[in-house]
Amino acid sequence: MKTQKKYWKGLEELHNDPEFVENAGKEFAEYVPVDEFVGDKKTLEDSSTSRRDFLKFLGFSVTAASLAACETPVTKAIPYVIKPEEIVPGMANYYASTYYDGNDYASVLVKTREGRPIKIEGNKLSKISQGGVNARINASVLSLYDGNRLKNPLKGGNKSSFEEVDKEIKSKLSDIASKGGKVRLLTHSIISPSTKQLIEEFGNAFGAAEGNFKHVQYDAVSYSAMLTANRKSFGKQVIPSYYFDKAKVIVSLSADFLANWISPIQYAADYAKTRKPENKWMSKHYQVESNMSLTGSNADVRIPVKPSEYGAFLVELANEVAAKTGGQKLPAAKSAYEKSVKKIAHDLVEAKGHSIVLSGINDENIQLLVNKINSDLGNYNHTIDLNKPVYLKQSITAEVEALVYELEKGHVDAVFIQGVNPLYSLPKKLADKFKAGLAKAKLSVSFATYNDETAQACQYVTPDNHYLESWNDAMPVLGEYSLTQPTISPLFKTRQFQESLMTWAGISGTYHDYIQKYWENNLFSTQTESILFNDFWNKKLHDGVYSNNATEVRRTEAPQEEIEAELTEDYTADYSAAAKKAASVKGGNWEMELYTATAIGDGTLANNPWLQELPDPVTKITWDNYITMNPEDAKEQGYNIYYGQEKPATLASVSVNGITIEKIPVIALPGQKRGTVGLALGYGKRVGAMEEPTGVNAYPLLTDNFNNIQLSVEITNLNEEYPVAATQTHHTFMGRESIIKETDLATYKTGDKHHFNHQHTFTMGHEQVSLKEADLYKPFPIEEVGHRWGMVIDLNACIGCGACVTSCIAENNIPVVGKDEVRRSREMHWLRIDRYFSSIPEEAAKPQEERDNFIMDIPESENPSVVFQPIMCQHCNHAPCENVCPVAATSHSMEGLNMMAYNRCIGTRYCANNCPYKVRRFNWFNYQGNDKFTDINPSQDDLGRMVLNPDVVVRARGVIEKCSMCVQRIQEGKLTAKKEGRKVMDGEIQTACASVCPTNAITFGDVNDKETRVRKEAESDRSYHVLEEIGTQPNVWYQVKVRNVESNHSNNHHEA
Amino acid sequence: MSVKRLSATSLYKALLLVLISIFSFSGKLNAQDGEKLFKANCAACHTITDKKLVGPGLQGINDKREKEWLHKWIKNSQELIASGDADAIAVFEENGKVVMPPQPLSDAEIDAVLDYIANPPADQAPKQEASEEGTTAAQPQGEDNSFLILGIIIVVLIILVGLLRSTQVSLAKVVKEKTGDEEIVINETWGDSIRGLVSKNKGWVALFIAIMVILGAKDVWDALLSIGVHEGYKPEQPIKFSHKIHAGLDKIDCNYCHSSARHSKTSGIPSLNVCMNCHKFIDGTDGKTFEYNGKTYPMPEEIEKIYKHLDYNKETGKYGDNPTPVKWVKVHNLPDHAYFNHSQHVVAGKQKCQKCHGPVEEMDVVYQHAPLTMGWCINCHRETAVADKGNGYYEEFHARLTDELKEKYLKDGKLTVDEIGGLECAKCHY
Repeated sequence: MKTQKKYWKGLEELHNDPEFVENAGKEFAEYVPVDEFVGDKKTLEDSSTSRRDFLKFLGFSVTAASLAACETPVTKAIPYVIKPEEIVPGMANYYASTYYDGNDYASVLVKTREGRPIKIEGNKLSKISQGGVNARINASVLSLYDGNRLKNPLKGGNKSSFEEVDKEIKSKLSDIASKGGKVRLLTHSIISPSTKQLIEEFGNAFGAAEGNFKHVQYDAVSYSAMLTANRKSFGKQVIPSYYFDKAKVIVSLSADFLANWISPIQYAADYAKTRKPENKWMSKHYQVESNMSLTGSNADVRIPVKPSEYGAFLVELANEVAAKTGGQKLPAAKSAYEKSVKKIAHDLVEAKGHSIVLSGINDENIQLLVNKINSDLGNYNHTIDLNKPVYLKQSITAEVEALVYELEKGHVDAVFIQGVNPLYSLPKKLADKFKAGLAKAKLSVSFATYNDETAQACQYVTPDNHYLESWNDAMPVLGEYSLTQPTISPLFKTRQFQESLMTWAGISGTYHDYIQKYWENNLFSTQTESILFNDFWNKKLHDGVYSNNATEVRRTEAPQEEIEAELTEDYTADYSAAAKKAASVKGGNWEMELYTATAIGDGTLANNPWLQELPDPVTKITWDNYITMNPEDAKEQGYNIYYGQEKPATLASVSVNGITIEKIPVIALPGQKRGTVGLALGYGKRVGAMEEPTGVNAYPLLTDNFNNIQLSVEITNLNEEYPVAATQTHHTFMGRESIIKETDLATYKTGDKHHFNHQHTFTMGHEQVSLKEADLYKPFPIEEVGHRWGMVIDLNACIGCGACVTSCIAENNIPVVGKDEVRRSREMHWLRIDRYFSSIPEEAAKPQEERDNFIMDIPESENPSVVFQPIMCQHCNHAPCENVCPVAATSHSMEGLNMMAYNRCIGTRYCANNCPYKVRRFNWFNYQGNDKFTDINPSQDDLGRMVLNPDVVVRARGVIEKCSMCVQRIQEGKLTAKKEGRKVMDGEIQTACASVCPTNAITFGDVNDKETRVRKEAESDRSYHVLEEIGTQPNVWYQVKVRNVESNHSNNHHEA
Repeated sequence: MSVKRLSATSLYKALLLVLISIFSFSGKLNAQDGEKLFKANCAACHTITDKKLVGPGLQGINDKREKEWLHKWIKNSQELIASGDADAIAVFEENGKVVMPPQPLSDAEIDAVLDYIANPPADQAPKQEASEEGTTAAQPQGEDNSFLILGIIIVVLIILVGLLRSTQVSLAKVVKEKTGDEEIVINETWGDSIRGLVSKNKGWVALFIAIMVILGAKDVWDALLSIGVHEGYKPEQPIKFSHKIHAGLDKIDCNYCHSSARHSKTSGIPSLNVCMNCHKFIDGTDGKTFEYNGKTYPMPEEIEKIYKHLDYNKETGKYGDNPTPVKWVKVHNLPDHAYFNHSQHVVAGKQKCQKCHGPVEEMDVVYQHAPLTMGWCINCHRETAVADKGNGYYEEFHARLTDELKEKYLKDGKLTVDEIGGLECAKCHY
């Protein structure tokens, strides 16, 4: 069945922009200024360098080079003096550890080589992260080797030593304590039970009993409204566990739960389990939002709604649900989305007890309404579990505000700040007060790892270790524990935050001993597996995780009577009042929703060049944040809606409540609700040695109660141009079909492969033959002989998060090229995730009432559907690149790999031109040495080079490189099997991309082994080759995307 | 006839051998056996000098103690101490209460050991070493001589040419004067004479030039090909460590020191704690010397270097806090873009170390035996059979082969590395 759907990578392609059309046919889009470096005829004639001179120079350099090469270079081999028992040079060691920075949590495995951590993998034993990691955690290993980290303690901004600083802090502290002064500790959410106990002990030493000590938790991106709403509804000030794997209907009101909401790795893994059309049921996902988020782009039905309409939408939905379930009726509200609301309510009630409604808006009224809907649907204890609280976000806005006011009034004598940067991330008004208050404290100490805004305002900085240098434990969810262990000695003179506290509070021993003691006293008794504590400890340290089935709420700040009232039908919360307040919200001309970007998150790792260069999954823009605006709006306001190397974006300024941020580029983003804009938080930090920060800091625009919604915003066109680096329109497919295949669930359920996965045939004579028979190539033994390495990528499971891209960067030593080069389409990523918008032009042209399944008055560019498709080298068995290489630098292996010998490559780039998948990358520069990249490329200094994978070559200038299917891992896996004299097990060899994928969208293995998962997936009805009709016979399969929509006409998802 | 006689003599010889061996084992043990027994049972903790290792040095022990006492002590020291023997307790106290384990030796064997301690034979090891020296594959060293000879020949030839030319010119002059023949050309200068020669023999000159050009081109080509090839590279090392002594004479297995060769891509240069497994005891204080690269060196000096690097105090047996690594000079340097894995070749491929590294057990100073060029690697991959017998991995490979390929690959009776894809780029370059 043919669809009339049109797929487009950007607006340029949709509108057939002349420049785009002209450049689409070129592999290297930009004009190569040959004249500039060769010169025209006249300059050549005038130049003093004649042909003879040239030959002389040539001869001289050849001789010089040969002479230099004749001398044997003296290389030193320096062995260990005393080799640690567990280290074998050349072999990797893996240690289980835990990443938590206040924003992201994952149980991880750290790969170390000769004592250097070089790669992060997921820990499959974890029930939370389930073996997945996200882009940020992948990139965190690079931050370890960041030369900008603080290298020693600071006193008044000057270099100091721990002895000196400790002495002074101790004496000041005892002075303050003796006078009954107030001591405050400000941290991000603490999920480590040992640290919590330690903070309690620290507090006891400094007057906690007299109320002089307080520990305040502050999350830059706050979930406070959700916590307080849950207290009001259920008497539990907690974030519940969400079980997306049990949810048949998911309604998300602007919660980016696949990328940036509470525990996205866990949610993505669970969510993907429900997205397999082969299963008995497939979840249906509605997303209601103004910005086009990663989660929204994965939704079956996405409804663009203004932030000011969220309240009314929810009230209407609550009433619809209540009407069907007999719940409490709320004061009526009218939204413009009646049909959608009815449909959603119908689906929710159908899946009563098996649905999830959630919202990412930090507004108590909204959260209360969400609670009511979930209660009415009976979702608690099924898909939402309040008895398994999640501790990843514990910050209460009122407590943070109280601290700021205390500071401002000069009531606080000593303040310690760990893991947060309030001067950067507080709303402007609060940040100013905080700064003034900080100066009034007698003692201010920061544990910052960088000399950030807050650290600069503190008297002392005792820098914390990187997590890869630290001991710690974590309890992200009640009863689920994990351990962090150091994988390298501290690189600089830094000390773990906990050990600093221990030193000042006079607690003896190391923090390692402290954790062990905590585990011995509190956790050892909760298990029966080990008899000796040491045995228990070693096992758990090896596994990285430990879970007991604790369900009781350990800590709650709620009043006793509310706790007793938990989970009863008589809520203490006043839903009617909440509904009234939520529905009465009015918006201005422009509304804005601040969001956390998929790559940068809350900005903790914003100075990481790997993350800056990771294209945003939806906008495909790197190295900047920007205002996202609907293309129609942008056109009306006179902003440039196409952007590329020669087409800069237009700058605008944003004003909210008298706070103005100047010079933010405006990006036209299809799917953005008209009249709204989005802006990412977490930017405005310097990367490497760059002089200018990347992007702007949007945190000052937050409202005082940390709400990310701004209802009235002024946006002024500055009519200035600004280059943005987007990978959006790079490497286009020229509009050929059979790249993306998608269908709806009903069509898939017919089971007729012909309807959703059409196979190409070839006309030979009068017969239709399969592509394999129409073959000009000499047969080459790959199928059924030896190994055949293959990969299957499930487009249904892929959410476009970019974890694979960063994993590939770390594994394969992929250079950072910087914004300017990305702008010239010269990014080096071996694996990219293509994002296609799709819409049906014919449908959009019809009047509204005639459109099929169109309910709302939305033009195509306002709400297109989105497909993500990871593309790497397809390892074609009939590879077009191999035939055109004049020096045979790229050739085919018996195992189906398309091999690339860098040292043989002379850089003609014929192969890149001939590759239909556009996966080959050319090294335009020596990124490891060229001055242009000194500021941004981490491998230009010795410290940054420590992250390189020693098993993979760092490519030189002038050669082509591409995905090798992690041949180093294949070789390693095969060797292990050979040494052990057995066949290669399924799943034993994993590529870097497959091993970290949180949704298991990528399956890798030996297709010639009939028992492997990859073989079964490749033979499934949904599997197809991209551009199958050109006969390249790739070893990478994709699986048809199936949307859970009911349209039988097309694959469009505007049915709601 | 001769065949018969031969077998008869060998029969006699065999008989003789058996008799000798019976005699030697049934008779009294002598000092030679004592040496063997000492090395096997005692040398880990004792020396035959007065130097203390774990236990005291045993020089003069026969004079110091009664034979009977020694027998008791050696058989079970703890029993002797428990019996309240004052001497035994004193010895135990003196040596830091380190228990000497009971030795399973017969009285005759103990006597042999004591005999050996009393009369240690003169050390013969260095002499044996010297006698084997001549057979070592030494590096070619005749280049200096050949250059000299070539130079002399060239000088002689030049003088000869000069003499001949002056003779010819003067002869020509004489002839011209005598005959008055105008056609005789006298080449006054060197240039004239060469030009004359060339114009007369154009064909020969062209041939000569062509040959020279071809030879020159070949030389340039060879020179270019040898860039980066360091066959025979033999750098001096910071410690005069002789593989010939360790691997050759002492027959220490390569894998004992280079243990990572079985596990990892690198064979691993042993860390100093591996050296100390032996050299804690073999410290060379008894004035031993050793042969190294044709010269004799005192042994303690080199072993002292290990101690210095480890910050180890020989007298107290304690390690200091300031160890420094040894900076060895790397002999075998593969370019960074070539991936080589030792364990692949040693364990999976079952290759001998010597296949690539040459007769290391005969080298004092290790040198690069093989050219380590890609051509050299590939040749070996073409010829070498995969060690596939009894290996489950290769059994699976065989099982998956099509009949056609089976015939093609196994025609020569072996599956070569080449046939399983061992020549493919991405096997070594990634």
